[in-house]
Amino acid sequence: MQVLRETNLQGLALAKKLGKKGTLELLAKRGLVGRGGASFPTHKKWERALSVKTNERFLICNADEGEPGTFKDKFLIKNNSETLIEGILIAAFVLDAKRCFIYLRAEYDSLRLELEKIIKKVLKKSKMKVSIEIVRGAGAYVCGEETAIIQSIMGRRGQPMEKPPYPTIKGLWGKPTVLNNVTTLTCVPQALLYEDWNPNYRLFSISGEVEHPGVYEWELGVKMSTILGTVKPKGKMKAMSFGCFGGIMPVYKSNRVSPALICDKNCHHGAYSLIFVGEKKNIVDVNLSMAKFYTYESCGKCTPCREGTIRLVELLKKIKSGQATNKDLKLLKELANHIQETSLCGLGASCGNHILTGMKNFKKDYKGFIKKK
Amino acid sequence: MKIKLNGKHLEVNGNKTILDICKDNGIKIPTLCYHKNLFPEARCRLCLVELNGKLVTSCSTKPIEGCKIVTKTKKILKARKMNMELMSPGISMDKLGNDFEARKIYEEVGLDNERFKPRKNYKVELGDSLVRDNNKCVNCGRCVQVCSKVQEVHAIDFASRAHNEHVTPYCEKTLAGVACIRCGQCLINCPVGAITEVSHLGKVETALKNKKKQVIVQTAPSIRAALGELFDMKTGSLVTGKMVTALRQCGFDKIFDVDLGADMTIMEESAELVRRIKSNETLPLITTCCPAWILMMEQSFPELIPNMSTCKSPHEMLGALIKSYYAKKAGIDSKDIIVVSIMPCVAKKFESTRPELYTDVDYVLTTRELGRLIKKRNIDFANLPDSEFDPTLGISTGAGDIFGTAGGVMEAALRTTYEVVTKKKLKKVEFKNLHEFKGIKEGSIKLRNKTIRYACANGGANIRELLKHKDDYDFIEMMACPGGCIGGGGQPIYFDDETLKLRSKALYKQDSKKELRKSHENPIVKEIYKKCLGEPGSKKAKKFLHTKYKKRSCF
Ligand code: SF4
Ligand code: SF4
Ligand code: SF4
Ligand code: FES
Repeated sequence: MQVLRETNLQGLALAKKLGKKGTLELLAKRGLVGRGGASFPTHKKWERALSVKTNERFLICNADEGEPGTFKDKFLIKNNSETLIEGILIAAFVLDAKRCFIYLRAEYDSLRLELEKIIKKVLKKSKMKVSIEIVRGAGAYVCGEETAIIQSIMGRRGQPMEKPPYPTIKGLWGKPTVLNNVTTLTCVPQALLYEDWNPNYRLFSISGEVEHPGVYEWELGVKMSTILGTVKPKGKMKAMSFGCFGGIMPVYKSNRVSPALICDKNCHHGAYSLIFVGEKKNIVDVNLSMAKFYTYESCGKCTPCREGTIRLVELLKKIKSGQATNKDLKLLKELANHIQETSLCGLGASCGNHILTGMKNFKKDYKGFIKKK
Repeated sequence: MKIKLNGKHLEVNGNKTILDICKDNGIKIPTLCYHKNLFPEARCRLCLVELNGKLVTSCSTKPIEGCKIVTKTKKILKARKMNMELMSPGISMDKLGNDFEARKIYEEVGLDNERFKPRKNYKVELGDSLVRDNNKCVNCGRCVQVCSKVQEVHAIDFASRAHNEHVTPYCEKTLAGVACIRCGQCLINCPVGAITEVSHLGKVETALKNKKKQVIVQTAPSIRAALGELFDMKTGSLVTGKMVTALRQCGFDKIFDVDLGADMTIMEESAELVRRIKSNETLPLITTCCPAWILMMEQSFPELIPNMSTCKSPHEMLGALIKSYYAKKAGIDSKDIIVVSIMPCVAKKFESTRPELYTDVDYVLTTRELGRLIKKRNIDFANLPDSEFDPTLGISTGAGDIFGTAGGVMEAALRTTYEVVTKKKLKKVEFKNLHEFKGIKEGSIKLRNKTIRYACANGGANIRELLKHKDDYDFIEMMACPGGCIGGGGQPIYFDDETLKLRSKALYKQDSKKELRKSHENPIVKEIYKKCLGEPGSKKAKKFLHTKYKKRSCF
């Protein structure tokens, strides 16, 4: 795997040799974009933070991986954390950040002690005067959202804030703050150091009804047949779901997996988590269990998401019970759309995807439950 | 920057929010969680507009260069309605009184579907001053922000996530179990009435029916400047005379003026100040008219107890006088007297339960409760003739009037202290530096060979700020509510700074029109001292008019 290549602080050495500007230019040339989902060019994010005159900048490594079916950060922290820390140090060097944070998902606490050791080790070797603190998340999925992480690190309630202002301009304690996720930061030294580094490789988390679940690396646009050949589905597959918020769709062998496939034009989540659903499952059940996830993980701040997600569950339950009519189906669709359009943060904006795509792609499953008058 | 708003090309200030720009251009947009004095958290999502085709909340979004904004499309109206529908199962709109902001918004946004059933099942919290019903709450967050940012008390916050998110005093306790100061600012800012006062109205009505009891009512200075608003009169109308008439029609036996209690307070407090200066006792002396401030002090700054004046608050003083001086004068057993105070304040409800005070005042009604009583009796308030307070304890000075607005206690005290100490007449009665609408005000005045440095703070955050420099002063006035009692938690809801300014102006006007403007000139005050108490600070005065404080835990 490309992402497991080690760099032994050579990336950092190169960055220091190139200087800040040179490093940014090289990152731009290599085409590194954020791996969190928005695919925003990494060098641009850093430049934005640099454009603010200030005596202090912060870096946050987002390791609050909470999306169901996603476990690539965990994989990287376990298998290549030295390179991750080097990536953090390069970012700290470019940004002049004296304090960096790793916001670690609460459930990954078992990784913490080992990670702390590695931080110490790499820091010592690098001789940089930077602190890297691990902040344990409090277990809220929404704290994967940039502004919520910031609130949480400052000791406030982990709820998203309206953007703008973006964290790169006004983040932790009002200072410019860069948030990159684990994969992106791990890629930084690799992209700098290796001329043959390929910007199109992505990590995939594969789970569901397959023989070989796990983390894989493929190039964007990889054929479905390649994926299926590797992970070996158990029997016929009915659907695959891109995490919870990417949407759910039938499995076509000839499909190529790219952001465009996952969520049409307005794709904001390329987390590449594929959950395979076998043919015996009913999609209404799948949607219901995902909807339940959101009813507990919405932060509760804004009306549509707080009040809407629980109503989605109510409606799905009603549909499952066979008591629903077409009117309820219509309401379900209207509501899912409404939550997406009017919520404050990314969570709300995508929490209806699975229902909308489920209703579109698996009409039969839904119709089967509807009461005939 | 250039934008296009509803098809019109405009040049606007890009630092303003879309909501403000719309307001400037006469476009109305419904808002619920938004409040001018607070940070727009954009929780309710009712103020939606389209910015380049995307729905955004206008209260929190600024325009971008060359953008297209529309404020009324089918999509917008539908989305607003849906958000209203999503939150309304809690509010039960049909039962919502006209007093509340949400009522207006509800009418504006409309609601033609009710597809969701109420789902909340919280226990209603019945406190000593406030009632919290989370079943009505729409999680707008205004109470939380007011409590933490404006009052800096941090008594309440949200807890839990998603549909379980709810407002609660910290550690899921009750307000009585946390460092809540009962200021009621949360209540004033709640758009749906999920927080209300503990009502004493029922008990007062029962008392009014009891022929064996003499029910005496006393009204605080700030009521007269706000009560009219409840009857659609212009903000800032002075309704002193109408109020007295209405109270008489409601059946109260005697109607006294807390302004007189205020005059008494000034006599005592001023004497206390002079004594402390003369004998080098603890300074600064800090006022104690505001029970919310007293609670704040007892909970968060108990080290200030030696600085606190020992004077009871004006209505407690008058209550004590009613049950002693007046009872004796009228030949009634004090047990047959029920004292009702009309107060701008919910903390006064708590105050009246303090064991060291509870005998003075039996019930406390807020301005709003009085409004309800008057409406219940079908009294056409706006068209009532004027009448006068009962003279036994109803003559007061302008100094008492201005007690209702921040800086007023200080001004009244300075008027008296100056004249008593210097034995000279003040050249200018008014202290204009104290009339400003500001969180912290200060000044100094020369009394013979000593300069008195004084300062006033209103609003919890300003109180904390002023306390950082307390040693720069000799005399400090503290009011927990923004603007003082005119902005109290018991006043008519819906107010912004403009309302407060108008109410305050009304009180200053009342003062300026009075012949007697200094507490020591009040003939009744003179008589009470002559016939009953001796002189300010005497043993007897101590017994009736002074009290004590204790340290309280925040948990
Ligand atoms: S969309 Fe959901 S998660 Fe995001 S702020 Fe609103 S309630 Fe919180
Ligand atoms: S009464 Fe005042 S202190 Fe108590 S919760 Fe409300 S705003 Fe906070
Ligand atoms: S209690 Fe009132 S002010 Fe507080 S969040 Fe609920 S609705 Fe808003
Ligand atoms: S008023 Fe703008 S979101 Fe509530």
